[in-house]
Amino acid sequence: MQIYIHDKQSPFVLRLLLSLFLLIIAYKASAQTDQAIINSRLDGIVTDSLTKQPIAGVTLRIKSVTHSVSTGSDGRFTFVTGQKFPYTLVVSYIGYKTKEVVADGSPIAIQLAENTSQLTEVVVVGYGTQKKSDLTGAISSVPKNLLSQPASSFDNLLQGAVPGVAVTQNSGQPGGTATIRVRGGNSISFGNSPLYVIDGFIIYNDNSYSNVGSNGTSVNALSTINPNDIESIEVLKDASATAIYGSHGANGVVIITTKRGKKGTSNVNFSSYYGTQKVAKKLDLLNASQWESLVNDINTSDGVAQTFTSAQIAAAGVGSNWQDAALRNAPILNDELTISGGDEKSRYLISGDYYNQQGTILNTGFKRYSARVNYEKNISERFKISTNVFGSQSIENKLYGSPYNSINFSNAYATLLTTSPLALIKNSDGSYNTTNPYLSTPTNPLQDITATTNTTKLNRVLGNVAGEYKIVPDLTLKISAGTDILNTAQNYYAPSFTGSPAGSSTGYAATGYASIGAGNVLSWLNENTLTYDHNFNDTHFLNILAGYSTQYTQFNSSVASAQKFPNDLTTYNNLSYAGVANLPTSTATSQALDSYLGRVNYSYLHKYNVTVSIRADGSSKLGANNKWGYFPSAGFSWNLDKENFFKSFEGAINSMKLRLTAGQTGNSEVPPYSSLSALAPTNYYFGSKLVTGIAPLQLPNPDLKWETTTQYDGGFDLGLFDSRITLTFDAYYKKTTNLLLNVPLPLYTGYASELENVGSVENKGIELGINTDNIKSDDFKWKTNVQFTINRNKILNLGPGVTSYFPLAPTGQVSPVIVKVGLPVGSFWGYSTNGLLTTNDLTNGTPLLAGVPQKVGDTHYVDYNHDGQVTTADKHNLGSAQPKFTGSITNTFTYKHFDLSVFFQGSYGSKIFNLLQQTLERPTLSLNASATLLNRYSASNPNGTVARATNSPVPQVTDRYIENGSYLKLKNASLGYNFDPVVASKIHAKQIRLYVSAQNLFTITKYTGLDPEVNFYDNDNTKQGIDYGTYPPVRTFLAGVNVTF
Amino acid sequence: MKKISSNKLIWLITVITAIAFLSCKKLTENPSAVIVSSQFYKTQSDAASAVNAAYSSLNSDPAGDFPLYGRQLNLLVENGSDNQVYSPSNTNPDVRALGTATYITSNSRVQKVWQQLYYGINRANIAIDNIPAIQMDTTLRARLVRESKFIRALLYFDLVRLYGAVPLILHNPTSIDVNALLVPRTSVDSVYAQIVTDLKDATNLPKSFSGTDLGRATGGAAHTLLAKVYLTRQDWPDALTQLNIVINGGYGYALFSNYYDAFQKATKNGKEHIFSAQFETNLGAVNSSQVLSQSFTSFNTAIFPADVPADSSVYKLFNATDTRRAVTFYSSVYNAATGQTVVFNNAYTPYFNKFVDYSLTPLTTQAQSGVNYPILRYADVLLMYAEAQNEINGAPTSDAYTAINQVRSRANVPNLTAGLNQSAFRDSVFLERRKEFIQEGHRWFDLVRQGGTVLVDALHKIPAKSAASAKNTLFPIPLVEIQLNPKLTQNPGYN
Repeated sequence: MQIYIHDKQSPFVLRLLLSLFLLIIAYKASAQTDQAIINSRLDGIVTDSLTKQPIAGVTLRIKSVTHSVSTGSDGRFTFVTGQKFPYTLVVSYIGYKTKEVVADGSPIAIQLAENTSQLTEVVVVGYGTQKKSDLTGAISSVPKNLLSQPASSFDNLLQGAVPGVAVTQNSGQPGGTATIRVRGGNSISFGNSPLYVIDGFIIYNDNSYSNVGSNGTSVNALSTINPNDIESIEVLKDASATAIYGSHGANGVVIITTKRGKKGTSNVNFSSYYGTQKVAKKLDLLNASQWESLVNDINTSDGVAQTFTSAQIAAAGVGSNWQDAALRNAPILNDELTISGGDEKSRYLISGDYYNQQGTILNTGFKRYSARVNYEKNISERFKISTNVFGSQSIENKLYGSPYNSINFSNAYATLLTTSPLALIKNSDGSYNTTNPYLSTPTNPLQDITATTNTTKLNRVLGNVAGEYKIVPDLTLKISAGTDILNTAQNYYAPSFTGSPAGSSTGYAATGYASIGAGNVLSWLNENTLTYDHNFNDTHFLNILAGYSTQYTQFNSSVASAQKFPNDLTTYNNLSYAGVANLPTSTATSQALDSYLGRVNYSYLHKYNVTVSIRADGSSKLGANNKWGYFPSAGFSWNLDKENFFKSFEGAINSMKLRLTAGQTGNSEVPPYSSLSALAPTNYYFGSKLVTGIAPLQLPNPDLKWETTTQYDGGFDLGLFDSRITLTFDAYYKKTTNLLLNVPLPLYTGYASELENVGSVENKGIELGINTDNIKSDDFKWKTNVQFTINRNKILNLGPGVTSYFPLAPTGQVSPVIVKVGLPVGSFWGYSTNGLLTTNDLTNGTPLLAGVPQKVGDTHYVDYNHDGQVTTADKHNLGSAQPKFTGSITNTFTYKHFDLSVFFQGSYGSKIFNLLQQTLERPTLSLNASATLLNRYSASNPNGTVARATNSPVPQVTDRYIENGSYLKLKNASLGYNFDPVVASKIHAKQIRLYVSAQNLFTITKYTGLDPEVNFYDNDNTKQGIDYGTYPPVRTFLAGVNVTF
Repeated sequence: MKKISSNKLIWLITVITAIAFLSCKKLTENPSAVIVSSQFYKTQSDAASAVNAAYSSLNSDPAGDFPLYGRQLNLLVENGSDNQVYSPSNTNPDVRALGTATYITSNSRVQKVWQQLYYGINRANIAIDNIPAIQMDTTLRARLVRESKFIRALLYFDLVRLYGAVPLILHNPTSIDVNALLVPRTSVDSVYAQIVTDLKDATNLPKSFSGTDLGRATGGAAHTLLAKVYLTRQDWPDALTQLNIVINGGYGYALFSNYYDAFQKATKNGKEHIFSAQFETNLGAVNSSQVLSQSFTSFNTAIFPADVPADSSVYKLFNATDTRRAVTFYSSVYNAATGQTVVFNNAYTPYFNKFVDYSLTPLTTQAQSGVNYPILRYADVLLMYAEAQNEINGAPTSDAYTAINQVRSRANVPNLTAGLNQSAFRDSVFLERRKEFIQEGHRWFDLVRQGGTVLVDALHKIPAKSAASAKNTLFPIPLVEIQLNPKLTQNPGYN
């Protein structure tokens, strides 16, 4: 037990002596009960009314008397005083509502409720914090209960967490990437991801840094951060909030604050969960006899003899199920130990974490080891230092496959899916069967998946130190310096007996193929701010910030590969054993950003608030004539509830605030050297020897400048019925001009395009967040949180003479997307269909697809422009991948020691191009196909709705494959039990919590593919919502424990 | 508010100014891993690299697409002729449209060929403009410029034949303002005049190269191409003059005794090869694959090569004794792994064989083909000679017979019937050319330069190509070029 004197300024030693002295007195008092001045002794505990956790450092004061005590780290206190019972105790703690209780001498348990009043709530903003009441900008915080969901990466936690933020999990690959858009995408070509600020360190997440090109798909660089370390996430959305990050604030800013020690506590926390993951949905494919029938139908359409007899078809049965053979139930686990605490002068937190998620496809998974040290110390009354250091190693085992390099399939898994069910998976002796007449090399795709190594290791160290010095009480100088080091090592080895899933240079063909890649990013940031904060007579509140910031990022990478190994013993570890070394590649870039920033916050009586900010940014990546951009913003807010006239509404409306903001932010996320006349290497051969040519890559553009987003936002915050209902509403309009766009040049110039600033895009939308306390009794509580977002994106202009263009399609594909003025970015473009051609259609002269002989039972393409023929001119807009609205609803129930949280998330109105289904519905003589082909038109099935089987028809983009992507998901449901502190204390624990949780329990959708949340082309803005056979989605069940000592 | 003491203020100002000036000049980019043009075109080695870049436009695409020679050009001149069509495995609708004469102005392959030709022209222009100012060996300097002129002429010759009048661009752009870059089409005659000027200069190139210069453009290559240009222009005397130089000028060209050797890795840049796009087996190194070799991709009979003969009439052109038949087509392949011969027998067989590289192990790695793509070969010279003689003299001369019979006898085909009239001999020459050069990028050009309805008549004999019409004697100017540049007009029939 410890007793604190209510005097924050007293030195530690003095406090210790005083404590001892008081202890002695207390001891003596208890010994000498007749001592006149001791009239009462009160024992008690203070806990959080919601979490039931003890609260340390709570001040208990007897009303109208100065004498006070504080609770210890276990939340307990003993009040020994001259006052007589009964007396009134005033219990107060920062962030909690102050409570008065009457003490009558019996031990007392006091529950404090968190204070949600805007007046005292403090929000993290750019370069500081601000009272929520004084905010002018649109800032949303991720609810605490969503932060505690198990996740491999924190960007997964943003999904459905705050209005205005759209998150799409790109695939089910453990450690895979997510696409995040704050209030829609501003840019067409470059950089739509938000800026991340972790404990003040600016990170523009670039997944290309974690993929150096050694045979892999992108790795999520954010997955290197341990999500369990995060205390809070704030999303800055409007210009008033983001303009202080002017340079790359255009896409929103996500501010992450990690956990730190609290004054007067000493905690050891252990948390752990373990679970299992199952594939949520499988593809329905043809079995062996069904596939043989399909091959025969193709033969018929080709006019050649049928391959299989009806007896063979009958005998073939189900055949091999390749899909099932590659899948497993995979475990997921996380163990974390956190030690934190603090005294009057210093706070610390040390954490270590181990996360291991195996993939549901064999030989895939994600592992992370991480450690953090956060430390703060008040050196003197005026001088404070702090440091945050984080280190982690993430290891991802991936499927082989680079999306852009394959013609038909993305990876070994797709090859496996389309392997004929007639081929045996394993021989009778248990070895893999490699004689497959339907694949071009003697191979087995399941063996390829299990035997091929494709590993990416990411080591990240993120650390910063900061010093804060109060020059005078109101003027603070803060200098911080930090560094972010990310090392990537990619290793790939395809043993000599494996086939090549995607084409040329692997395994069997190369008799052993090894590739190693190394990447290295070093980023350092120095920020210097001067803050003046003064309160004039409790009437005028002024906060002025001025600063200078500079960031420098260096990247280099190299890839080496070799093949023709004598055996498979050394795999990728020693390329010198190889018979053939391939040409190695390497690159290096550097970029710098210089910024000056200033901001004034002014509040009159916390009633009228004004924020004005400006940031000047110089980016090395822009043209010599236009390096600098200036990004101003202004915001105004009015707390109506502070007005006298508002009193008449009291009772129903207890708080109301109006906000109006406007401002500009910028984007310069082009690759370094984009404005220079760069030359690129090419190759030729003379005398069979390789020679290097140096060819022009692009023309110089010294005028290349900032892409600028102007944003207007209007909103209000409402608190109803004593804040039991709180509501935040925002409407915004954003226009991005001077787009960084590749402007087409006449091809006869020798250049296809030039990066210039042309065109504009608009985003407008509405956001709504509602929190309600539905039931609020002592034993039972029910809270609901609803988030709702509408965003409309439209291309206004693509520059002179350009009304549309097709983004580059993968080799062998017709581009399914278009970038077109008047449409949202990444709209789908293709033919409408009208079922299948009938005999009537053909006799009536229905327009047919030009250049292709068509028969009854073929797809009936619609002559959309009524010109009497079906050509590419009949392709039209088939919808866009951007949803009409997204939303989520979370219900939290608490009953005594139990708590239950149910989190639904949904999206409405988006379209998905089901490219995988299109591929699987294309009949060929060698590949397995979708079971939907069972309903194909044929002589024996004249009512079939799927086109007749022909040999490899052109996969046209049609409305058949543009599907409704709307969905509602039960993302997370968890049930927890908090032990009574009294019970917990029996094992000397302050808190014990057990829980079970299920993620992705079900999805309601009309989408026929594996998962409506899919995004094959990652962060390519123009190719969103394409499903090309990515990693299957999973359903997770887990159980966990959380103990604090 | 307390007053700030003066020494604190000085300390503060010092710190802030020190930090603010730490970063002078940091925003200027000095790339360490990228060469910019202001640093380049300074040395002899830079000059050589600039010319290598012009050559590499023949065998690779800057955007990683298939190469001009060895793939893209063939999609227009073979797939667009009566020689070739697509198989079920070729799912690109634009390629299929070229095979069925239903292509329109937005056809991506028509655009790609246009773009690749101008890529190479731009690289040649840059070399021609920059190299003369470089301090270096003057002989080498002159040679490198002439090699670049040969490349430029070759590419303009393809352009003018495929698209007709085209913008004649001879310098790298100095502006990125689109309006400053809009130019009209230059007349066919002016384009040809430039081609002839460039080639005449290129005829001063060395007669031959050896060692690590093998494969460069020679004086003989320039004379041959010049002859081809005159022949196309039906300037028979000038064509004959050039052909006589090639045949009798001491260049040492001759037919391989074995037709097969014209398409082998081991015999590349041999006596019959006047100029070829160079390809090499380079395993995982930057691969500019010669895609025509992928006529063989698999021992699986259910997997098809992308291109197949237009119909059985193509195979039936050849006598059984014609050694070219077995070199041009295959219908069975020996599988070394299983020791069995796999027979391909379906509606699309026999498949094309010429560019399959049988030296590869395993055979399925055809993307690694080391077979060159011949652009000018001596058989072409002999057949052009026969054609020119026949046209100049109104009837075939004995020299004309000698020339065509050289080609026939090498193929183990009897001599051409004696005493043919001019027209019959002309037909024989074009038939010989067709059989000799299948897949070598001649057929569509040969059909078109005969004029009249020759192309359309030939295409109409193939059922899949019934949509062909007179407009197909030129390819359309790519739609994107017309949209961007109102000064460009479209070719007849495509609007």
